Amino acid sequence: MSLRQRPRPQADRDSAPWWAAVRRHELLVQRCAGCGTPRFPARAVCNRCRSLAYDWTPASGTGRVYSWIVNHQVFLPSMADEVPFTVLLVRLDDGLGHGDDLLAYGNLVDADPGVLRPGLPVEAVFADVDDDTTLVQWRPRR
Amino acid sequence: MTGLRDRTAIAGVGYTPFSKDSGVSTLTLAVRAVMAALDDAGLSVDDVDALATHRVGDSVPPWVVAPALGIPEVSWYLDQFGGGSVSHAVVGQAAMAVAAGVADTVVCYRAINARSEFRMGGTGRGAAPVFDAQYQAPYGYFAPPQQFAMFTRAHMNAYGTTHEHLGRIAVTQRANAVKNARALKRDPITLDDYLASRWIAEPLRLLDCCLETDGACALVVTSRERARDLRRPPVLVSGAAWGGGDSMFSGTGTDFTVTEAARLAPRLYAMAGVGPADIDVAELYDCFTYSVLVQLEDYGFCAKGEGGPYAASGAIALDGELPVNTHGGFLSEGYVHGINHIAEAVAQLRGTAGDRQVPGAEVALSTAQPGYVLAGTSALILRSDR
Repeated sequence: MSLRQRPRPQADRDSAPWWAAVRRHELLVQRCAGCGTPRFPARAVCNRCRSLAYDWTPASGTGRVYSWIVNHQVFLPSMADEVPFTVLLVRLDDGLGHGDDLLAYGNLVDADPGVLRPGLPVEAVFADVDDDTTLVQWRPRR
Repeated sequence: MTGLRDRTAIAGVGYTPFSKDSGVSTLTLAVRAVMAALDDAGLSVDDVDALATHRVGDSVPPWVVAPALGIPEVSWYLDQFGGGSVSHAVVGQAAMAVAAGVADTVVCYRAINARSEFRMGGTGRGAAPVFDAQYQAPYGYFAPPQQFAMFTRAHMNAYGTTHEHLGRIAVTQRANAVKNARALKRDPITLDDYLASRWIAEPLRLLDCCLETDGACALVVTSRERARDLRRPPVLVSGAAWGGGDSMFSGTGTDFTVTEAARLAPRLYAMAGVGPADIDVAELYDCFTYSVLVQLEDYGFCAKGEGGPYAASGAIALDGELPVNTHGGFLSEGYVHGINHIAEAVAQLRGTAGDRQVPGAEVALSTAQPGYVLAGTSALILRSDR
């Protein structure tokens, strides 16, 4: 896995603290200070109560598989030696459900895509790419 | 709210040839398509007082096309940011400008070298300049086929949609393209051919994907009254709608099996005063087979979750109850980012679609990318002025 050759995440001013936490191997979500709704990805405002105040709180680090792909096409020459690879879309266990779910992407690690099914419990794994960047990956819960 | 109902018309349609390598600039493509559309309408460049387009940093804006054509002044223009999801909003806004009396003759165009110059999504240009790309691109996820594969899998998970369902869409559209001299792909395919085509991003295969195309298309929009005096029978803009709120990237839109089209459809139908049962022909945005399937549901032609069985039933074939993508669509005719769907709808309503003509077609639905990837969608209902 040549993570070093991939596009780097380009944080914005809302998400910079989230990426800094990932670098420390901490998975955070925002929690609205007005109504308590958890939120991810990072945003400056709550879309329920419109409060601008929030805290960063530790996430459970677990979730359930919502969807996935197994990518075969080489879209970036620098990733030619990685295909096929799996990309997961995970519903974090920290979401409220009923349309207020929190969705996170990542690659499947430590497992074959054959194990994937809707709702499969997974847990976050931190992968250090280089001196600046850490990514969140997912593996089936044991 | 009847809004724009039947107040404006599409009076001319123009194309460049479609290819994998046009060998010319996007400006040249745009100018050729604009002039062809004016010629079709029986108008000249001197009649043009407005230009409208959309682009994502991959084409020429009105303020480059106007001087290239020697148009001294445009009284109104639109340079809309966006890809396929806004393709039909361009024509809707042109109709609005004409209805408001701001413009008389608008030429809408889209010109791209989408194969030889600017391919959609990640072919060496890296991540798209989209807000949430930071959460996706590091995982090797940024190209449209990957995104639509993710949505397709979600639909399979929820409703049991199958590869055969998707394949029937590809096979049906190819059969239409066989009857279309403009189409880039005219060899018939079978379901076995489809199932044997290579994976791009599971669950999508090569034959689920549209054709990256060099080409341009243009449409002349003017008032209904003026269109009646021109060379071609007018095709009325009966309904036009655009907008949206959810972003399927994250946050507020977390059910990937329902698109923005489901929310837009009621107000589109209401403006035109018709319903799904009145649609004689549907040109549904087919960047991938799945986008057709989900729009069959969200525009009300079948129940949610039934898009696969409905498509596989033969209903969407040229002789079915709802002929879909009669030109072969982006999968087989070519991909000009949405506008060639509108042009095909015009041909069907003029009754000039030749071997692929749907007999007696009077009302057509033409749609944009249904709101995946970037928020919002757009669509038109057109009808013949008979």
